[in-house]
Amino acid sequence: MNLMSSFGWICFGLITGLLCAQSSDSGEGPAEDSLRTMMLTSKAVRAAVESFQPSLVTIESFGGMSAVQGRIGGIRKQGEGNTTGVIVSPDGHIVTSTFNFIQRPPVITVITHDGVRHVAELLGRDDTRKICMLKINAGRMFRPPPMIATEQVTVGQWAISIGVGYGDVNPAASVGIISAKDRVGGRAIQTDANISPANYGGPLLDIKGRMLGICVPMNPQSQAIGAGVEWYDSGIGFAIPLAGSEELLKRLQQGEQIAPAFLGVRAMQNPNGKGVWIEQVVPGSPADESGISKKDVIIQINQEKIQDMMQLKKVLNRFEAGTRIDMTFTSGETGQSKKIQLKLGRVPTPEGETKPLEVPKIR
Amino acid sequence: MISQCINGRSRIFFSLLLTLCVWGILGFADRPAGQIQAQVNNLVSDAFDYANPRMVKVYGASAGRVEGYATGFLVSADGLVLTTQGVFLDGNQVRVLTSDGTEHRASVIRRDRERQLALLKINVLDATYFSLDDEDLGEKGDWIIAISNAFKVADKEEPLSATLGVISLRTTMEARLNRRDVAYKGKLILIDPITSNPGAAGGVIVTLQGKLVGMIGKIINSSDTNTRLNYAVPTSLLKRFVLNESVPKISKVEDLPEVELGIRVFAHGGRTGPAYIDRIRRGTPAYRARLKPDDLIISIGGEKIGSVKEYERALRNLVVGQEVIIVVKRGVELIRQPITPMEKK
Repeated sequence: MNLMSSFGWICFGLITGLLCAQSSDSGEGPAEDSLRTMMLTSKAVRAAVESFQPSLVTIESFGGMSAVQGRIGGIRKQGEGNTTGVIVSPDGHIVTSTFNFIQRPPVITVITHDGVRHVAELLGRDDTRKICMLKINAGRMFRPPPMIATEQVTVGQWAISIGVGYGDVNPAASVGIISAKDRVGGRAIQTDANISPANYGGPLLDIKGRMLGICVPMNPQSQAIGAGVEWYDSGIGFAIPLAGSEELLKRLQQGEQIAPAFLGVRAMQNPNGKGVWIEQVVPGSPADESGISKKDVIIQINQEKIQDMMQLKKVLNRFEAGTRIDMTFTSGETGQSKKIQLKLGRVPTPEGETKPLEVPKIR
Repeated sequence: MISQCINGRSRIFFSLLLTLCVWGILGFADRPAGQIQAQVNNLVSDAFDYANPRMVKVYGASAGRVEGYATGFLVSADGLVLTTQGVFLDGNQVRVLTSDGTEHRASVIRRDRERQLALLKINVLDATYFSLDDEDLGEKGDWIIAISNAFKVADKEEPLSATLGVISLRTTMEARLNRRDVAYKGKLILIDPITSNPGAAGGVIVTLQGKLVGMIGKIINSSDTNTRLNYAVPTSLLKRFVLNESVPKISKVEDLPEVELGIRVFAHGGRTGPAYIDRIRRGTPAYRARLKPDDLIISIGGEKIGSVKEYERALRNLVVGQEVIIVVKRGVELIRQPITPMEKK
């Protein structure tokens, strides 16, 4: 009886072993197998793009500044074509990239997936993320697209960028992977899928068609409006995740203008050790008003020790204009450490610069 | 309980079997990650090995900043070579290097400035070549391999460079002829591997099975995006060129009578300003379409009017008596009206 059962086990083992050995040899052979895998990926890409299309819009701009020698306000000239946006609320709020409006067009229209054109109103903008909010009154409801939180994203997973910038209503797609997370002050994710004016304002999708972020031009070294466009289609591209950013979207819907933080110091590496040595303070800047002067050494912001210039820039990049920070510095005169609280300001606009997006007075 | 009842020898036999079993299962589980990865590598390299002997390096005259080289590929056993049209073919000598490194003098059989294609001929016998199908392969998202001699990286018999990517979009040039500097009407494949580099034009786009999808086009800037386009000319179009069949050319609009809508646009903002209507003349098509001063022209005949300049351009493409739809913005509303252009007096 017992022997029988052990014999049964042996038989079971033999059969399973044989089955396993067979299944790895049988089938259509390795080439067909991998071809099928690759073709399935392509199919998944198409399905992801198609499922997202109802949330994708084409943005048209009318008029605006003209280019001078191929540049607009020092930025590489924008194309003449349409740009891309993503519907984020049932009542017709649309997120896109501020890059699409560097020409400051007085009139903006939006074509939704059903082919209907609507007049759009520009609400708030976030210059630290290069995104802005449009609103259309379509008289119908939309379904905002599914979004995926950055915590659930892994480096190496598929990423698909789509956009209508090439002029076809059908979006062009580029496939790559997620290259990094928490870039540019934790605001962006990085991808090697092609990111360019053809899809700025469009979504970066995962293989299931969920939105990972909004494609934008970005350069961690500069917060200028067009910075990052010089890296278009280079394998270094950025997208701004919106999952869990209800607060931010609300602020943009209310028309808030979020600007990069401005401290107002020119500084260099402290020659006598750690920290950043102040070379010059901009008169009237937040630094000036909170009593920071030349030759002081910044050593800490909030909980973070400041080792060098790079780190100061990186830490400041995390904040926006209006944020209150704690700063510790050593006075250049007394040599004593002092902790102060200051409110970061806005980068002062040079005189003569046009005001943002004002409808010109005709007649 | 089982081990209690079996003797030593069968116990060894049993554990051996179990090991075999576990090994089998592990091997199976391991398969998707490791093996398939290796297989995909093989797939790409097989496709490349199929394509590379069918491809050539083309050298001509360099003029100023224009590079004097390109890529090409064989389309017949007796040495017909397809490549890109360019000034590098203007020199008195065009050299073609086949994949074995042999140099051939090539004669230029045909050049087409509209499609930016050129057909060369070298003297070879029984060459391996790409057959040109009528049917276009591949759709959005399909994997493709772009093979070219970008930057002249490969020399003599050295194999060309391969990049993996996907088809971004199949589209047509038709709608936006004036906006791009390629002058043919027809199909175009936008791709995501970067091919807009010197010398890449004339290279091929193949499927993972090595089948020809199209020929890499020359470097052009899209005025829609002000970026370089990465694109390929589809096989069906290449075939028509090789067979010397014509393609529809851009119709010259100068011969047509000038049209008028009866609209004077507001030109104070310069030609890049938005096309606001300043005045409407009585008895004109615009008057009949009930357009009003201060309306902003949004589109004419499906073509977006972003500026005064674009309005003028759209006007040139209208035909007398042929009704089109004009869309204007009045306040926050969009108004669609049919309008029939009349002949300019």
